[in-house]
Amino acid sequence: MVHPRALDYTASTFDRLIPNESELTGGVIIEPGRSYGFFTDTTLCIGCKACEVACKEWNNLPADSVGLTGQSYDNTGLLSANTWRHVAFIETGSAGGIETGSAGGIETGSLGAVHGGGTGGGGGVRDNNQQPYQSGWLMMSDVCKHCHNAPCLEACPTGALFRTEFDTVVVQQDICNGCGYCVPACPFGVVDVSHQDGKAHKCTLCYDRLKGGLEPACAKACPTESIQFEEVSVLQERARERVKTLHGLGVSDAYLYGVPDAPGATGDLGHLNAFFLLTARPEVYNLPAAPTRASRRVRPALLSGVATMAGLAITALAIFAGGGKR
Amino acid sequence: MNALPPRAAGHGETPQAVGPGEDWNGSTYYGRQQLKPAPFNNYVVGGYIFLAGICGGASLLAGAAELTKTPHRDGLVRRARYLSLLAPFVGGAMLIWDLHTPKRFYMMLRIFKPTSPMSIGTYIFSAFSALAVPVAALQFASDRFAWARAGWLRRANGIASVPLAATGAGIGTYTAALLAATSTPLWAAAPRALAMRFASSSVASGAAMLSIGERGAINRRRLDEITLAALTLELGATIASHAVYQRRGIGEALKTTPGIIESLGATGAGVIAPIALQAASLLLTRGRSRPLSRIAAALTIAGSLVLRISFMAAGNQSALRPDISFKFSQPRNLRK
Repeated sequence: MVHPRALDYTASTFDRLIPNESELTGGVIIEPGRSYGFFTDTTLCIGCKACEVACKEWNNLPADSVGLTGQSYDNTGLLSANTWRHVAFIETGSAGGIETGSAGGIETGSLGAVHGGGTGGGGGVRDNNQQPYQSGWLMMSDVCKHCHNAPCLEACPTGALFRTEFDTVVVQQDICNGCGYCVPACPFGVVDVSHQDGKAHKCTLCYDRLKGGLEPACAKACPTESIQFEEVSVLQERARERVKTLHGLGVSDAYLYGVPDAPGATGDLGHLNAFFLLTARPEVYNLPAAPTRASRRVRPALLSGVATMAGLAITALAIFAGGGKR
Repeated sequence: MNALPPRAAGHGETPQAVGPGEDWNGSTYYGRQQLKPAPFNNYVVGGYIFLAGICGGASLLAGAAELTKTPHRDGLVRRARYLSLLAPFVGGAMLIWDLHTPKRFYMMLRIFKPTSPMSIGTYIFSAFSALAVPVAALQFASDRFAWARAGWLRRANGIASVPLAATGAGIGTYTAALLAATSTPLWAAAPRALAMRFASSSVASGAAMLSIGERGAINRRRLDEITLAALTLELGATIASHAVYQRRGIGEALKTTPGIIESLGATGAGVIAPIALQAASLLLTRGRSRPLSRIAAALTIAGSLVLRISFMAAGNQSALRPDISFKFSQPRNLRK
């Protein structure tokens, strides 16, 4: 449905920004002080990678690698300093086999790299008895989750990582000194330090666009509304409705990843501002089932270390104070 | 907006090998990493952790010696004070070198963040350095110039040794919190036991270093006893931490090359062997065997270095391998 105000802007090019353009493209007015995020509904994803392209274009990100991985249509591989959207592809066999590398396989290596595990299409031969439409495929556009209690932000010693007025998590490039501590802090393997400029990079949820009243590039480019941009509370409500609808239609596997008290929002992470609707276990999409907030381990580690030091100091005092005879 | 994707009639329930209700079957996303390993240089950062441990441990022991007014402590205290300069100068340089934008090192001092051991450590390091440098400078002055041997100056330096020992305790152990407060499975799995390992390894290596330089037999034996106590504690913490890794399903990380080096090199040659040697030296020769003491001390110091480097590398392996990281992020590991 076209927003009525969109009829005021029928030209192909504009010499200035459309006020609150996000209202026309995403049905949301962006205001500071509110909490914004993404709802990525994987049942709507067609794997077109328009989000990846839009992100690269808007953020002026260099290409990571141009080649074929042999891993379905996923030639992007993973999120990195230069790749802030990544579409994962999982081909499942009609007989119920999700064909992935066997457990423990680091580099399955061979073309296809999909033997083992699954019953359908095992032995490197693709199952040609697929169900109609996309029922044998899973596709998911992965992105920074903009966690409510963001481990990267909590780990950053310079304050380069900060929470914006839109409740998103952004790296300030003029402050980051490339210590890299945010990288292992992230339970989703999102943040990455660029070897080109020595700074940490990740999705900014298009901070610059939000400031200009524009919907994030990936959400605007998504042709199937698989990526939806809105206020987080609205998205969570919408996502719960969507799960109910899917359950009603017989898709009993549908569940949310990253809403409060759901997988992905475990271990004191609160909730994820960018959350997902999935239909298989999180690991299938390369997501952790129960990520945790790293900063919760600061206290036990420090207290245990100090207690050990105190114990050894007392031991040393006793030994030094003891007589030097014998 | 909430339109349903096209689906064939009768296929409402997509068959999945691992549906959301089922247990994880060990499969991964093409064997690709789920986490990103820390972009630290393991030799440089591991080397820093080792140096910080030695300096912190030695400062702690010098403080204890000053506090108890142990006789013939002057040499021990002097060596500890000079040794503690390694952290500010060499260690600091290593830390800055490991930044990916080193010229912005001072950004670390912009804020203080109690949720970040890197930030906490910055200030512990700064406090330690701010004490260690003047204390060592005063020591140097009193070694070289008669005017600096005034009683009140030496007393003042002795008093300064106590806060230096406290910050030394901090610099020798915050590095465990630094590794534990990450999502890297091996680093994060056992925060308490890891901190106990790092802290006792710091004291052991500091005591071993001072023991090598010690000329007096009595103080050398005391330092060897402290080394033995710290190594025994480290061994206990190591066994405890390895049990936690097995319980949390990430024991596989210890079977990687750095994991094997950690077990055999850091723990076998760097803890168990010196425990045996020190015990033999103390029991059989009453600590009078200088060669035995020296070999044990050298093994202790080398073990402390190997522990830090191999543990960092094994942790990175655990982050790179999804079969390990997915086991760590199973819901059963959520309870504390």
